[in-house]
Amino acid sequence: MKTVEIKVAGKTIKARTGETVIHALWNAGMAGLIDTGCVGGVCGACTVTVRSSGGQMRGTDLACMCPVEEGMEIFPCPVDSVLTVAPEPNPTGEKLRVAYPKLDRCTKCGSCTTACPMSIPVMDSVLRMRSGELDKVAEDFTTCIHCGLCRFVCEDGVQPHMMGMWVRRSIGSSKEQDSDKIIEQESPQAELEWEYLLGGDSTDKMNHARQFRKSGKIES
Amino acid sequence: MEWAKDSLRKLEATREVRLSSEPPEFDTYETEKLIDEYHPDYLGMQRNVRVGPNANDGKFPHELADLLESDSQLPFDFDPTVDIETDVLILGGGGAGASAALALEGSGLTVHLATKLRLGDSNTIMAEGGIQASLGVDDSPRRHFADAYVGGHGNNDPDLLRVLCENSADTVRWLGQLGCILDTNEDGTFQLRPGGGTSLPRVLACKDYTGLEIMRVLKDAVLLSSTKTLQNHAALELLDDGSGQVSGAVLWDRSRESLITVSARAVIIATGGSGQLRFQEFPTSNHLGAVGDGLILAYRQGCKLVDSDSHQYHPSGTAYPEALVGQLVTESIRSMGAQVVNAEGKRFVNEMAFRDVLAAAIIREVAEKRGIQTPTDRAGIWLDTPIIDLQNGEGVLRHKFPGIIHRFERYNINPAKQPILIYPTLHYQNGGIQIDRDGRTEVRGLWAAGEVTGGVHGTNRLMGNSLLDITVFGRRAAMSIQSDLPDRRPVTLTSLKGYRESLQSISSQSRLLSPQLFPTKAGMKIAFERKTAIKKPNEGLGVTDQPSFEPPDPFAK
Repeated sequence: MKTVEIKVAGKTIKARTGETVIHALWNAGMAGLIDTGCVGGVCGACTVTVRSSGGQMRGTDLACMCPVEEGMEIFPCPVDSVLTVAPEPNPTGEKLRVAYPKLDRCTKCGSCTTACPMSIPVMDSVLRMRSGELDKVAEDFTTCIHCGLCRFVCEDGVQPHMMGMWVRRSIGSSKEQDSDKIIEQESPQAELEWEYLLGGDSTDKMNHARQFRKSGKIES
Repeated sequence: MEWAKDSLRKLEATREVRLSSEPPEFDTYETEKLIDEYHPDYLGMQRNVRVGPNANDGKFPHELADLLESDSQLPFDFDPTVDIETDVLILGGGGAGASAALALEGSGLTVHLATKLRLGDSNTIMAEGGIQASLGVDDSPRRHFADAYVGGHGNNDPDLLRVLCENSADTVRWLGQLGCILDTNEDGTFQLRPGGGTSLPRVLACKDYTGLEIMRVLKDAVLLSSTKTLQNHAALELLDDGSGQVSGAVLWDRSRESLITVSARAVIIATGGSGQLRFQEFPTSNHLGAVGDGLILAYRQGCKLVDSDSHQYHPSGTAYPEALVGQLVTESIRSMGAQVVNAEGKRFVNEMAFRDVLAAAIIREVAEKRGIQTPTDRAGIWLDTPIIDLQNGEGVLRHKFPGIIHRFERYNINPAKQPILIYPTLHYQNGGIQIDRDGRTEVRGLWAAGEVTGGVHGTNRLMGNSLLDITVFGRRAAMSIQSDLPDRRPVTLTSLKGYRESLQSISSQSRLLSPQLFPTKAGMKIAFERKTAIKKPNEGLGVTDQPSFEPPDPFAK
């Protein structure tokens, strides 16, 4: 397999084409250079900035999702977590503003959208937060991995991912959680059915379970 | 994917006929034969362990057996002196640990949660497909039980499985109160999807990011709670009181590179699985830290492990492109109709068969040369994903499975237009520490919850039952501790000393140190030197070498 050379935190390592920066580091025995978590693109631990071989900055990325390219330079860019604010029932734009007063500092530069490794339209969503379109905001942040890059690049201290989380949790916890939505399927037969499923030796149990799966009832 | 065009042409040529065809079904005999001959659990790559509670009782993958027969990372002259005193120490920052922490909120107890990585960096956050709850018409906890029991080959602990199934509705309610948003129908009821081996639709989801949704909410709630989170603190050893009761743990603070002794009245192990041990050189869907630490810690304290020979190889791991190898393609996409097709364009198995059956069928197909060879020297089977939009309308795949689209598009593969290649990936540790209905282990002072435990899922887990497992048993362990909190006890390394002595009795002792915390391949070594070595009879100083074991190179051919 073809190899390429990349630089990570100033160290040159050889990598195989097709692999990610994280796997290249593992194979070089240097995993410690970049904080790593899930290795699947959803925990946001391995945030980095990338410079292409030509020297131009390519922006932010997740090292575990970033395939190696000849001459690329990787700079670890760990993002510290910030204090979170408790969700509120029946959220509104005004309540969000109280929780995160920096909301209105956004100057619409768009850096957050560029930085987002999940392709969330972050800046547009911040504008929707301002105008109180919170249902749409919740939808926008469905795929947010909370890496914090949007906050990291914001020169005005706006915290889009934290606000996205606040909006989602506030909306989620306000929804009707009564029996309308969660209909437990209980029956007066429950105890009999448990006896049927749990009784007998292992062969009986397996046969009973096989039978019960078909209709959800004890067939006589 | 120009290199696959011949095979893709065959796949497209048979699509119309396949769409109206019934999936091939195997009878019980064929199923058993298939699993026996092709499932990685059944290929004899396991052995007995010679020491501890499972000595000559039960099989373990070689890689795990070696670690169980290894010495501790702790220096021999380490003398525990208490740095942190707490009531409850939770080891592990995934879904089970976080659920336990939240269930202890308001109890008045001091809670510390130690996690090797950061809070939430876990297998939970990567779960895609969903969480099972028996909310549908004609469904019940009993039917859920029956499905999981048959799927687990009847090796499940019926008591544990009953607890799991009886708590699903309550768990979904609890997640809702915390602010989790799961997909709903227009009338506000939850969307229920089928899963492999569910006899009717029972899986609730948040698109194909269900674990992400649940974990980030649990994490946010924990950060707002009174739990003290110790990030980058790996558990190196459990402490006991000298008479068989667990009384704390020794942690390795990765940032400060120092050992921390914690005295606790109760310890919950929620350290998750072991996919990064890469049994039989399989790729894995697991996170960096999944190397079985909790199994080792509990075993040295005398906890029996159950079904440790059983692991789940998820049928649809990515086989191409190379950068995504091993990563999951959710089962939901099959439950929505995506078909599994070989190089000849033939559908060879029911896509919604139990996971172990489907994985074995795919492995057989490739072994018998009906797979598709990639230019990266791998082989896989087609997952015919364009079916989703063909059957449900343009844009449905993108709307329901944004994760798959997001990952593949980077490589100019659009799963809505083009099938993707899959091959089984090491996904889940079916067995583990034996627990009771309240998450208690056999050892006083020690509870366990989540993937690190065994018995709930038997020898094959159903989709959507692990997110349920971690939330149900994480919370139950926490409740059990509140009703039965042991007194504070002295901290000693008596159990470890006993284990070290028993290690001396075996020949050809492992040269490894465990728990190993990270895949050794990653080169993330623990930075302290062991000062003394095991004394072996007639041998003077024994082994002190660095680990010689390297997990298989995930990219080796």
